Amino acid sequence: MGHTLAMEWQKLRPFHKTSRTVATAIGLAVSVTAIVAAAMAANAKHMTVNDRHTFDSVGISLQGVNAAVLAIAAFGVLCMTREYSTGMISVTFLAQPRRLRVLAAKLLTHGAVAGVAGVLACTSAFAVGQALLGTEGLANGWSSAQLPSALLGGVAYLMLLCGWGVALGALLRTSAAAITWMASLLVVAPVIVQILPESVVHRIERWLPSQIGASAMSAHSDPHLFSPWVGLAVLAGYVLLTLAAGAWRMARIDP
Amino acid sequence: MIEVRQLTKRYGPHTVVNDLSFRVDPGKVTGFLGPNGSGKTTTARMILGLTDADEGVATIGGRTYRDLRRPLCEIGALINAGAVIPSRTAIDHVRWLAAANGISKQRADEVLGMVGLEAVAGRKVGGFSLGMKQRLGIAAALIGDPPVLLFDEPINGLDPEGIRWIRTFMQGLAAEGRTVFVSSHLMSEMALTATELIVIGQGRLIAAESVEKFTERADSSVRLRSPQLDEMATALAVEGASLWRNGDALEIVGFSIEQVGAIAARVGAIVYELSPQRASLEEAFMQLTAAVCEYVPMQRGA
Repeated sequence: MGHTLAMEWQKLRPFHKTSRTVATAIGLAVSVTAIVAAAMAANAKHMTVNDRHTFDSVGISLQGVNAAVLAIAAFGVLCMTREYSTGMISVTFLAQPRRLRVLAAKLLTHGAVAGVAGVLACTSAFAVGQALLGTEGLANGWSSAQLPSALLGGVAYLMLLCGWGVALGALLRTSAAAITWMASLLVVAPVIVQILPESVVHRIERWLPSQIGASAMSAHSDPHLFSPWVGLAVLAGYVLLTLAAGAWRMARIDP
Repeated sequence: MIEVRQLTKRYGPHTVVNDLSFRVDPGKVTGFLGPNGSGKTTTARMILGLTDADEGVATIGGRTYRDLRRPLCEIGALINAGAVIPSRTAIDHVRWLAAANGISKQRADEVLGMVGLEAVAGRKVGGFSLGMKQRLGIAAALIGDPPVLLFDEPINGLDPEGIRWIRTFMQGLAAEGRTVFVSSHLMSEMALTATELIVIGQGRLIAAESVEKFTERADSSVRLRSPQLDEMATALAVEGASLWRNGDALEIVGFSIEQVGAIAARVGAIVYELSPQRASLEEAFMQLTAAVCEYVPMQRGA
């Protein structure tokens, strides 16, 4: 397994390319948070006392992570599909004929990069968000009690989505198919669900990956949504199911 | 050493490789010949553990590919030179392969030097010509300094200069005592490169012998014209002759004129013509691989 990990790690070189993915994730997280937090701050004078009391300062500051997740999921997808589309996967299997080890090594190495990207993206988005919200006294600061769990939730969300990307890539093998599925689940599904009648929305919404991510990073609980850790466990279930199918296809169906 | 025993592969109703057995010995270049679609690549992929055989087994030095602990140090393979992510540089490509089997980084630089790519080591593979990609593929195959090498159609799309380079390079590897197994659909090329031949057609073994012997055998065919061609073909096939139809005549390989004449007498066939032919090597190979397995009788009364 050591050699297989070394192989996948070496493939992540040149690091300037991998760090571009990390930078994209941070950039998306920070800029989307900045837009949302700036809009909130601009609107602050219309807020009532009750509004200010229930204001989710942590959750708003981590809004940008919902954008960063697309970059991280694509990073996971591409590590599989780029090899299948070029045929390089055969060369990989020549170096390591035990295919499931290749899958495990990709999950570990890419998960580690996603973890680093996640920590940097979440903390920098939070810092920028709090700075902007602070101009209107809406910041909770770094001592906020909900912060550790929200940050951890954000990082876990990004790592799980990276793993989901790898699994979808192994299952579908083409970049277009895997990224379309990923974008549909993260971006299109929430839009469709929002058009449905409210009673239906309350039943379905909690199962959406994007909602699970949002509630994992929120300081407030919503009775219609899963609690942060239950939600992440559900998401991990999705990842494991896809992974099982992807592993089966990788091992059984030759490239 | 590569050993293939009773290898069979089916895709749906098609049997692509059919009960194939042969051995490839060290110290020689062995050509793996057959027309396109005859099962060469499928056989290579089964040897390399990329495709599962339905029956039979292929071993490298006595073990199947999936049992090799550091496969790149046991067998080097070039199967598809284009299979490189274009945005990666040549040196990065051989470095990840080195890392994959615990091979040193210096060896990665070394193999690029061996194939003459050291000057472009830092360039992206996407900008490489086909010849350069083939060289990179050969460098990748050599990364673990393996005793066995398998090249699938290494000269496809190369210019004459590149072809000559690969030919000399492969002969050099064999001279070092390595097993070199090269597939090709070009008989003329193999006649120049290889000393041993494994010839297949429609997934079956046609010949496994030295190039010299194959040339000799293919060079001397016998031409037979007779009104009872179908009877003659059946009788000759039973005796084990390789034959094909050429217009209103049969071309027979592996039998002397005397033997064919004796069979004709036994069958009671009228003979219009019985003559020795000197077929070109390429022609004999094409006819053998295309027609040896299935003799199609002529339509009666046509």
